[in-house]
Amino acid sequence: MVAMAITARLVRWRMWIQSAFLLVWLDPLGLRLHSMCSPVFHCYACPLATFACPVGVLASFTALHIFPFIAIGLLVLAAAVFGSLICGWACPFGFLQDLLGKIPTPKFDLPSWAGHLRYAVLIGAVFLVPYFLGKDHPLFICRFCPAGGLEAAAPSMVSQALAGQQIVWPNALKLTILVLFLVAVFFVKRPWCRILCPLGAIFSLFNRVSVFFLRLNPDKCTHCERCHKLCEFGIKPEKSPNDLRCVRCIECTRCGPGALTLGSIFERH
Amino acid sequence: MLNSKRKIIVFCVLVAAGAVALTYGIFLHAANISSAQGTDSPALVRSEPALIREVTVGGLERDASGQVKKTYTDKAPQACPT
Repeated sequence: MVAMAITARLVRWRMWIQSAFLLVWLDPLGLRLHSMCSPVFHCYACPLATFACPVGVLASFTALHIFPFIAIGLLVLAAAVFGSLICGWACPFGFLQDLLGKIPTPKFDLPSWAGHLRYAVLIGAVFLVPYFLGKDHPLFICRFCPAGGLEAAAPSMVSQALAGQQIVWPNALKLTILVLFLVAVFFVKRPWCRILCPLGAIFSLFNRVSVFFLRLNPDKCTHCERCHKLCEFGIKPEKSPNDLRCVRCIECTRCGPGALTLGSIFERH
Repeated sequence: MLNSKRKIIVFCVLVAAGAVALTYGIFLHAANISSAQGTDSPALVRSEPALIREVTVGGLERDASGQVKKTYTDKAPQACPT
């Protein structure tokens, strides 16, 4: 009962919590603490970035053939405690997609296999391509990442234009993915997170063992399938509460019978 | 399916592994990098936090011989060129 009340209250506060985290990542104090990674997807070339992007650090260190202890340690720690809650509650790029997704346009669902592409991006563009082909290869993650295009390349182009300098455009692949992303974000909920995000791929692997998880109480579940409609990611939470595609927005916990709650591995039954 | 006890054990192992990696990275891990001028100049030892700061501005690259070297000579670039 207590868990239900806490979860219901949390859902209402989600956007405010995302906004609060956004302030942390946008470096309002101008600290530029780029010696340390954050556990979220936010490009370090962005003029407003407090910390280094862990994916960029993983890929760059792999290209240099240096083991990234800090990035790996931080991600394992964050994922073990929070899992995909970070995607749903703290990631600024996810928040941006949530905001743009609120614009009333027809929304399309994705096939469930689309979520597996994230693992291909993680293995290929973050580890294999940087290790074997280096950081200058067009399939190096930073070379096509839309977060970099939107948060770093676009402001840089604007400042070049304002200063009357020659505008340096991103490469064709980055530009194409950025345009596709900016179109898709209006018609698909969180397209980057669901199809290509390598950081989401890492966190999703911890969904079944992280401290916080989605708990289904089968005694309360009436199989009304309201949770299917509440889930914006095409998951059936009552069948697979800890699905790899779940970003833990916990919207499904608003189902009538209260069968789904945010649980913790330390709770006693 | 993992039961609650096993989940707690897995969680403790992951937290311990993460904390050890993070601590080692912050306080102990370092790498040799050479300056942009060439291989004749002495190698510099940089801690991992310093290496992270360098990669965020695209300040390091791996040359054909496998050595990690700086991409700039005097002032560091303002942002990563990718």
